[in-house]
Amino acid sequence: MNSKKKAKKIKLFPIFNGLLFFMICLFIIVPLWKVFVDSIDLQTSYGMRLWPKEFGLVGYKVILTYESLYKPFLISCITTIAGTFLGLTLSTLGAYVLIQYEMPGRNIFSFLLLFTMIFEGGMVPSFLVMSKLGLTDTLFAVILPLGINVYNLVLMRNFFEGIPKGLFEAASIDGCSPMGTFFKIVLPLSKAALASIGLMFSVTFWNDYTNFKIYIQKSSLYNFQQKLRNLIMDGDTPNTSEHISQNTMFSAAVMVAILPFMIIYPFCQKYFVKGVNIGAIKE
Amino acid sequence: MSIKRGQKVPGSKAPLSLRIYNHRWFYVMFAPVLVFIALFNYLPMYFIKYAFYDYKMAQEPVFVGLKHFEKLLKKQDFIRAFVNTFELSIVKLLLNTFMAVIISLLLNEIKNLQAKKAVQTLIYLPHFMSWVVTASVFRLILSPSNEGLVNSFLVNLGVINKDQMIYFLAEEKWWRPVYYIVNIWKDTGWGTIIYLATLSGISPDLYEAAQIDGANRWNQMLFITLPSLANTIIVVLILNLAKIMNLFESVFVMYNSAVYKTSDVIQTFVYRQTFGGGIPNYGFTTAVGLMKSVVGCILVLVCNYASKKVRGRGIV
Repeated sequence: MNSKKKAKKIKLFPIFNGLLFFMICLFIIVPLWKVFVDSIDLQTSYGMRLWPKEFGLVGYKVILTYESLYKPFLISCITTIAGTFLGLTLSTLGAYVLIQYEMPGRNIFSFLLLFTMIFEGGMVPSFLVMSKLGLTDTLFAVILPLGINVYNLVLMRNFFEGIPKGLFEAASIDGCSPMGTFFKIVLPLSKAALASIGLMFSVTFWNDYTNFKIYIQKSSLYNFQQKLRNLIMDGDTPNTSEHISQNTMFSAAVMVAILPFMIIYPFCQKYFVKGVNIGAIKE
Repeated sequence: MSIKRGQKVPGSKAPLSLRIYNHRWFYVMFAPVLVFIALFNYLPMYFIKYAFYDYKMAQEPVFVGLKHFEKLLKKQDFIRAFVNTFELSIVKLLLNTFMAVIISLLLNEIKNLQAKKAVQTLIYLPHFMSWVVTASVFRLILSPSNEGLVNSFLVNLGVINKDQMIYFLAEEKWWRPVYYIVNIWKDTGWGTIIYLATLSGISPDLYEAAQIDGANRWNQMLFITLPSLANTIIVVLILNLAKIMNLFESVFVMYNSAVYKTSDVIQTFVYRQTFGGGIPNYGFTTAVGLMKSVVGCILVLVCNYASKKVRGRGIV
């Protein structure tokens, strides 16, 4: 009797678990799915419909031909590419120097970096620095401050520490300069780390809203996030002759903001996870 | 490590000047990093001095001592923002951690690897969407009209009438629950990564031994899995507690003037006072930010101490 009961219990659990995960997945996907469906549905009064009643891409047409969205999209691309490049440069350089245990002053450098994680000037002093440097309302203000990310730098350093010391010694015996070692040995060996940390930087820059909100007042320098926000929250809507509801238009705008990422996401997901795990090994 | 042929290997015994000379290229390589943190991290710290000044952009700063601090400690809005910051951050942190642990435990029980991978891919996804996009998605589905999914659903269930649509993001009693749920939606999946790594690191021998001793699955979870996870959970909580004062963007994109009472946090308060129109007194808002930074600093140091006690290694 007892053993029979046990056998039944073990069989029941996977079913229960499967159902539960089905529901968790629904919880994640339904909000996104609903927005997607609304973006291709031309009938108003959407309600609970999870399938379009009258299929049409007019929403996308309105959004993609809305001229004041081109430039924000371009600005987002520029800041993402420049920022990712800058972020990777600074974190690899910093990480490479921080693994030179014999270098005088290494501890001071580490401390200077880590102290920024403990204490910060805050939003207003940072804004004052930017405005005194004359960088507000330029793209430098949104690219430069995010270029140093101490957490990413530490991840990079942890990765570099895994490179066998013998390689550095061999390189220097063969007459390789520190810079040569950096470019010819360290970087080629760290492709996985570069990919994962580069991806993290690019997501940060692509999604940046706060820095734009603080440092950029000129609407000609808005990025896509800022524009999307204005569109949906402040009703800064495009004039159009097409008869579509606001909901369709907004949904299409949200999809334009996330679709590119959702398409590449399944391919680069493993790099993100790898990046987190590089941190987890030493953390 | 530039060692010229025939030269002594520069260890800690070599004279300092020689060691510095040998590492000269490394200093050059580190210079850009130093310039960046000097400009964007340390220069703002110097500007904290304005917390003790009256400072409006066009005028010369006037030294006023502790005036701003006296003012803000009497200011009801500030106290409210301060309390809200703690409440929102801590409840969010506990809820997210709890959900992440539960989901990791259950995910670990899925034996079909492909299904597991698929679920993981899906639940990590919202983490990469910006807060603006997240807020937009939820604004659309929570919309208080018959276009909103949630309100239509409630009407169809008969919970509410058509004329009593709920303004989820503009009612004080609803804003916080919605905020917590959106946070769970966005970050719980991502939070499971670290627990899953711990779970996959538990030796299978332990489970085998427990089985021989007659432990069923529930007992195995209670006496093997959970204790192994406990350390990771504590570390994650400590690391995140240090950051609770930094709440900004998630609140900023979801709140509005109707719900300041339950949603305003220090950073949004500073933002509104500084950039919300009118001539800002940078001195006052710097003082508010300084209070936040000091409390944040104390939290980091306390958490660092706790982390050293728990895992023998600090945060910073």
